Amino acid sequence: MVYRGIFQKTLARNIVRTIVFAARKEGKIGTAFGRYGDSPERNGIPAKQFAIVSDSPEELEENLAVYEAREVDVTINVDDTMCKGVESWAWYGLQPINALTKPGGTLIVTSRQEADALIEDIHQKDTAYNLAIVPASTSFSGLWVYKDDHTDVRILGALAKVCPELVSLDSMVAALDDQGWGGLKLTSARNSFDRTIQRPVEPGEGNDDTPFSFDLPGWRSMEEGLVIRGVEGGEGFRGGSLGESYDPITSPADGGGQGYQPIRNAVFKKFSTRSMRPVINFDTCIKCTLCWLQCPDTCFDVTPEGLYDANMDACCGCAVCEAVCPVPDCITMVNEAEFNDNNSQYEHWTRDKDGYHRWMGELLQVQKAADADAERSHGYHSPGKYEAESEVALTGDDD
Amino acid sequence: MATQTLNQTEREELISGSEAIAIACSLADVDVITAYPIRPYDTVMQYVSKLKADGAFDCDFIVAESEHSQFEIVKHASAVGARTFCGSSGVGWFYAFEAITVTAGLRLPVVAMVGNRALDDPGAFGVEHNDAMAVRDLGWMLYWVGTAQEAMDTALLAWRVAEDPRVFLPMAISCDGSFLTHSQAIVNVPTQEQVDRYLPQYDRGRLQLHPDNPITVAPQVNEDWLMEIRRQTDDAMRRTSDVIKEAYEEFKQVFGRGDPSPFIEEYMTEDADIVLVGMGTLAMPVRVAVRRMREQGLKVGFLRIKFFRPFATDEIREALSHCKAVGVIDRDYSYGSPSYGGVLFNEVRSALYNLDQRPLVQSFIAGLGGREILVRDVEEMTSMVQDSINAGRVTQENTWIGVRE
Amino acid sequence: MTTMTQELPQVRGVKQIPVFEGFTSGHRTCQGCESALVMRLMIKAAGPRTIVVGSTGCMYVANTTYYSTPWVVPWMHTQLGSSGSAATGTAAGLASLMRKGKMQEEPINVIAFCGDGGGVDMGLSAISAALQHDEYNLLILCYDNESYANTDIQVSGSSPWGANSTFSPPGKVHRIMNRRWKKNTVPMLAAGHPDVRYVATACGSYGPDFTNKIRRALTIGGPTFIHSIDPCPKGWDYDPKYSHELGMLAVETGIWVQYEIVDGELILNGPSRAISRGIRKRKPVTDYLQRQGRFAHLTEEDLKFFQEKIDESWEKWWIPGIVPFGPHDEGE
Repeated sequence: MVYRGIFQKTLARNIVRTIVFAARKEGKIGTAFGRYGDSPERNGIPAKQFAIVSDSPEELEENLAVYEAREVDVTINVDDTMCKGVESWAWYGLQPINALTKPGGTLIVTSRQEADALIEDIHQKDTAYNLAIVPASTSFSGLWVYKDDHTDVRILGALAKVCPELVSLDSMVAALDDQGWGGLKLTSARNSFDRTIQRPVEPGEGNDDTPFSFDLPGWRSMEEGLVIRGVEGGEGFRGGSLGESYDPITSPADGGGQGYQPIRNAVFKKFSTRSMRPVINFDTCIKCTLCWLQCPDTCFDVTPEGLYDANMDACCGCAVCEAVCPVPDCITMVNEAEFNDNNSQYEHWTRDKDGYHRWMGELLQVQKAADADAERSHGYHSPGKYEAESEVALTGDDD
Repeated sequence: MATQTLNQTEREELISGSEAIAIACSLADVDVITAYPIRPYDTVMQYVSKLKADGAFDCDFIVAESEHSQFEIVKHASAVGARTFCGSSGVGWFYAFEAITVTAGLRLPVVAMVGNRALDDPGAFGVEHNDAMAVRDLGWMLYWVGTAQEAMDTALLAWRVAEDPRVFLPMAISCDGSFLTHSQAIVNVPTQEQVDRYLPQYDRGRLQLHPDNPITVAPQVNEDWLMEIRRQTDDAMRRTSDVIKEAYEEFKQVFGRGDPSPFIEEYMTEDADIVLVGMGTLAMPVRVAVRRMREQGLKVGFLRIKFFRPFATDEIREALSHCKAVGVIDRDYSYGSPSYGGVLFNEVRSALYNLDQRPLVQSFIAGLGGREILVRDVEEMTSMVQDSINAGRVTQENTWIGVRE
Repeated sequence: MTTMTQELPQVRGVKQIPVFEGFTSGHRTCQGCESALVMRLMIKAAGPRTIVVGSTGCMYVANTTYYSTPWVVPWMHTQLGSSGSAATGTAAGLASLMRKGKMQEEPINVIAFCGDGGGVDMGLSAISAALQHDEYNLLILCYDNESYANTDIQVSGSSPWGANSTFSPPGKVHRIMNRRWKKNTVPMLAAGHPDVRYVATACGSYGPDFTNKIRRALTIGGPTFIHSIDPCPKGWDYDPKYSHELGMLAVETGIWVQYEIVDGELILNGPSRAISRGIRKRKPVTDYLQRQGRFAHLTEEDLKFFQEKIDESWEKWWIPGIVPFGPHDEGE
């Protein structure tokens, strides 16, 4: 299963462990583990955990003989924005979310989106598979305090539905019961079993982009002494020159009229960490520089007129820019699922201001509506907030 | 670009191995030297600091607050292109071990002196080889010197080889505590002109850490990378043999002295039935014993191994393949090792294993903690090897020599 | 005796912070990582003629994963406890080579950074030794995210009292597993190394102040030390978008004091100065603590205890918030 680092660590563990416990109820054996290469997990960054279930110890050993499974019966994705693919923490290249899903296997996604909208994002396969949607908002919490909005049991209920040969709903419920998750959580599991939406996906259906990849060099071509070349310094906006007057020590934040854009690392992009992206109103921007200054990922290109254009390959969606922006609605974080490319907003704006404002206006409306339902928030905010959010999620579950 | 040193003409000195290496540091115009006190190696730093105090030697001499820092400082000085030297002994060497390990991994040509000393506990000043030997698997070249002259010559060879771009590996010069670090011998000190001719300036090239060469050094890796990186270091170590031969030949031309081989020293081995093998200063009593036994008609020889890393497998095989039996004298221990033998014993035995005709190999542990290895000890070991020859097999694989029951 | 340093003018306001980036994309830190921001601001202030050495920690492992690097300037890894030795070795190598004419003479900034684990815990003795070498120009920057954040958030000597960590988890019997109070690092180094011309605390939430501190440290001559407080969304457990705000709250509650000691003179900065002069009231510590999951298990009494300790440091200490001891009061 694929999850967002720390934000869903407990969620992921609950799911894979319960799968194994449930399988035990049916006399099977299994194991559950997080992929060590993705550890130490970082918040937001895509990570993987596996549950392996077998009929015999020998079969289990055969599966474990391959540390990371080359194909799986079920892929579980607990954040639908990762349908665009994941760039794993210590690995290179973009992996489609269904990369490991075997022919005829199932991809389970928690989402409020329609199947067709999701399939637009999911990279196409040359074999058919099954898409299952658990209607729910993405559940985020942090390292220490778990937000128990029943997302874990919803997934497990759905799993019993789409993959009964793996484990039955009764075994699943019994396993939940063993862990002391009685009452409401069992109801949620059963409800999810009934409500899970399934949609067969045909070969060749879906996103036809070729995910960026990386070829590992051999020891003879790698530089010795553990040396790799540094990233080159900055250049003028959109590759222009920095001009005679440029001085790295004194040329100021507004780019001194030349604009400035840092050369960005070519082999690691980080955008698949993002579950939201900033949408910028360049007309209300007062050029205070704070978004640019406080960005930990050096995302902002400085335009010649001193505006700041967030680079969507580098942005990981932390939302600090939104938090520090003093102008209302000048920077708004919008659900990543609303976008299909990483294009420059500034270029869109300069090309067609009216079109840009229509586009931005719609996105902001959609986001405000979504926030009213359940804010897409990461990590702990204040005592009681998780309980309040879970309340919403659970009442939504029982209607 | 050499600094003014006290000697413009070749001269003889009566000095210890430590002082010889200190003088080599000044002749090599080492840029950064770090010190931390521990017996017996620290005598070298006492000489270095005096040379600097007297203006005979211009270097950044830093007294660190621990051996770990001592080795970290030279490691980073070496990364920006400075010629470096440091050293330690016994548990001090072990305190620095993290830094020692990464220095080889980073391919930094740091040259270090190990004044071999027994490891604590109990605290003891005397020589044992276990301290230096701990780096044998890590990518350090490791040399055991036998005399003060050899200490000086090996130091000059060390920078030449370590800083060769085909190598870029650190080198440790092992000197037996007290026997070499503290006892004085006649040493021929070369001129600055000779050394400048022999030793080019250290040039790290594209691996140098400098704003003109903005590189990132030693990022974190996962399993996709580490085997390739280890293989690179392995290949660098394989390349050292040719570089050492080349550098040693030139050494003999420039300085007019040296053995036939940079890796080993053979003494009366040609027709020997029994060859004793050892490292460091024990060579002296062994050679004396060999001469005496030869007078009694016993066909004994001695093989002194100088480079322990790289281990000169071919030359050692060649030197030992003609005799009937080999007795390896270890000034170290390896608890629980194969046959409970010493470290050198097991390395020599495994080197010989694939020969069609291999001699018997027998292990002796002797001279630990600085205890003397006497001529009669050597004779005792030899007669035990003779017993094995007579029996047609090694009757006792390992024996501790001169230990009270 | 120190060699020449670079010209790095002080900035007045955010608009003068240089546009130059020496730390760009390619790092794999968490969303909203304040320490990554600190790296970026650090090198913006220092400029391209700088060598950076980084000891093991998040800013090593997450920043530089083999084959991708965010660094535009030369960067090298050093061991966990070695920031002090790495800075000394780098500076000594450059000084020696330049003095002997083996390298083009120019002032090159040398910066070694360490986390709180590498600086406040393991590396303290090497940092202390580095601060004794007034012949070398170097800066040691401790980015303090108050835990061993790289290895899964284990408590360090710089973690706050009561904080949840994987080595100090609240349990059924022991609610507070970390009973140590955060080490008072900068005053310890300042008092212990009177010849050091510059030590300071800092926080990435205050961009111009941070920039100026880096520049003062690099231009004043000799070894210098800066300790920055870096909110960590992962280990502290809060929404990444609040990194900047939590940094300010740490200062505004008086839990973190912003100051610099220049040639023996203590200068408080920003909100800390206003608080010390009574111009501004300290915010209650709960405004800060209750925003973080790592303190979610604290009870009313715990919060009260925390507040009292902070009050004590401001009201009872000889130098409020900085120096806990003072001259013996002889009375009348």
